[in-house]
Amino acid sequence: MTQESIFEKMWNRRGFRAELRAANALAVKQWQVEFSYPLSVLWFIVMPFLWFIPALIAGTVIAGGSESTYLEGIAGTTDWLTYIAIGSAFTGLAVSLIWGTGFALRREQNVGTLETLMTTPMRRDTLVWGSSLHNIQHGGLGVILQLGASIILFGVNLNLWGVLPALGIIGLSIIGLQGLVFTVVCIVLLAKQAWMVVEFLSSILFLVAPMTYPIAVLPPILQYISYGSPLTWSVEGFRGFLMGSLAGPALLHTVGALIIIDFAFIVIGTLMFRRAERYVRARGALSQF
Amino acid sequence: MTELVQESRDETVHETSEYLESFKPRSMDWKAARTFAVKNLRIAIRYPANLLVWGILPIFWFAPFILMATAIGGVETSVHFTEISGFDNYIQFVVIGWFVYMYLDTSIWAIGNNFRWEQMSGTLEPLFSTPVPRISILLGAAMSDTVQGTLQAIILLGICVVMFGLQYALVAILPTIIILTLMVMALYGFSFMLAGLILVFKDPSVLTEMISELTFVVSPVNYPVQALPRSVQFVAYLIPTTIGIVTIREVAITGMWNLLSFTQAVLGLGVLVVCFWAIGISVFRFAEKWTKQRGHMGGF
Repeated sequence: MTQESIFEKMWNRRGFRAELRAANALAVKQWQVEFSYPLSVLWFIVMPFLWFIPALIAGTVIAGGSESTYLEGIAGTTDWLTYIAIGSAFTGLAVSLIWGTGFALRREQNVGTLETLMTTPMRRDTLVWGSSLHNIQHGGLGVILQLGASIILFGVNLNLWGVLPALGIIGLSIIGLQGLVFTVVCIVLLAKQAWMVVEFLSSILFLVAPMTYPIAVLPPILQYISYGSPLTWSVEGFRGFLMGSLAGPALLHTVGALIIIDFAFIVIGTLMFRRAERYVRARGALSQF
Repeated sequence: MTELVQESRDETVHETSEYLESFKPRSMDWKAARTFAVKNLRIAIRYPANLLVWGILPIFWFAPFILMATAIGGVETSVHFTEISGFDNYIQFVVIGWFVYMYLDTSIWAIGNNFRWEQMSGTLEPLFSTPVPRISILLGAAMSDTVQGTLQAIILLGICVVMFGLQYALVAILPTIIILTLMVMALYGFSFMLAGLILVFKDPSVLTEMISELTFVVSPVNYPVQALPRSVQFVAYLIPTTIGIVTIREVAITGMWNLLSFTQAVLGLGVLVVCFWAIGISVFRFAEKWTKQRGHMGGF
């Protein structure tokens, strides 16, 4: 095949399958980069535990045992250990998506490959989806590692029948989180050194999410913010299925709220990304630091 | 015009030669350390919002622990926590932990990574070719970061005192200054070691993150040191901030200044200062030599 025909073929590629292959290539590339640093591999294995252990020790000191009667009153379960283990496992996935994908374009810019990627014949948002695909795999493996070790080492109890529906909740949560990711990408594209803004936003987002505590302990104003976040409904649904406590009207309520929020976040996020990306290119600021 | 340029060149040559002729290698150049500290502080002053942000952000990091404690133990501090720690107010307990931990965080993220930032700004090689001991440069960076870290820690403490209505004993001010001074000196040695590792490994994100998380897990910031297994307690006491947190917390919350335990803390920190400086300088010198031999100094 001549070089011209290869280029012609590349320029003519269209459709969902072509974009999926491009996204997959980006995800594989990121794995190859990570595996070329042995420290990164070690960090990937120990990270889920290092994040969970401080919460585990603090919880043990406070509860003095495996049950908490106070938690039962506000969350409907006495098993605080399983409650925080599932919540903090989901945190790993969310952090991986928001930070890992949000700053993917900035990393490409730092290594000088952003403009090359932007000129490849694929949709611009596929660049972000490709990085998301990698971080879903990365964060998802972290969730499996942490929950697996929590069951073996710390005696966490999971409802195995809830695993499949919990995966469904993860699928739904990715849509809403992708909306957030697009917002972070916009901030990064416009402000370049945007980690401080993102640090603030993500800190607020994680503070109001019921990761290691139910939102009932938050001040009322933060509870309202929490209801509007996709993280809240994702964690509630994921934990509810894995603890076997989500059924009936609560199930419909959680899933329904998550679908509505997903729709709003992904639409707003995608539109913002398209606008920001066009604006940055029009100003010739793509490679500016 | 040509004459002026020639004159200026001659002057420069003359000045340079004079400086280099009078130059004698020293193991420590305090003037260079001060100059470097002032340079870093000047840059920091250009971004005043950073100080405020780093004073406020830790509240978002420890608030989840407080909320989790409330969800598990109730609004009042749990009896089990009081039995283990000896303190009856969890928030008051945690805030002191974070106040002292800010110094460890600074030593890991700011001082240890200083040469990496010089490298990113393209000034590492010129800096390393200046005729001053590297330790002076590191010490200068450490001094400026300590000033910034102290301001951030004070902002954090002030906000928490107002926000949570906390009270600490004023009698703790002097012992806190003594302990913090020794602790910061020990942390300098710790950060010299990190700076050496970063010269070798270059991309510091994973290494720094790993060290930061590991030290956080074993530090008695959100829980008392007694909550850790025995072997981990030993490791915890090898980190200078552990003695700092335990001693300052005791004095600041109870207002009791026990001379025996205070002297033990001072001696313990003194030993850590000597050990960390010896290890830190050795590691840094070895890393510098290793990096130079391979021509990796400016590499990414």
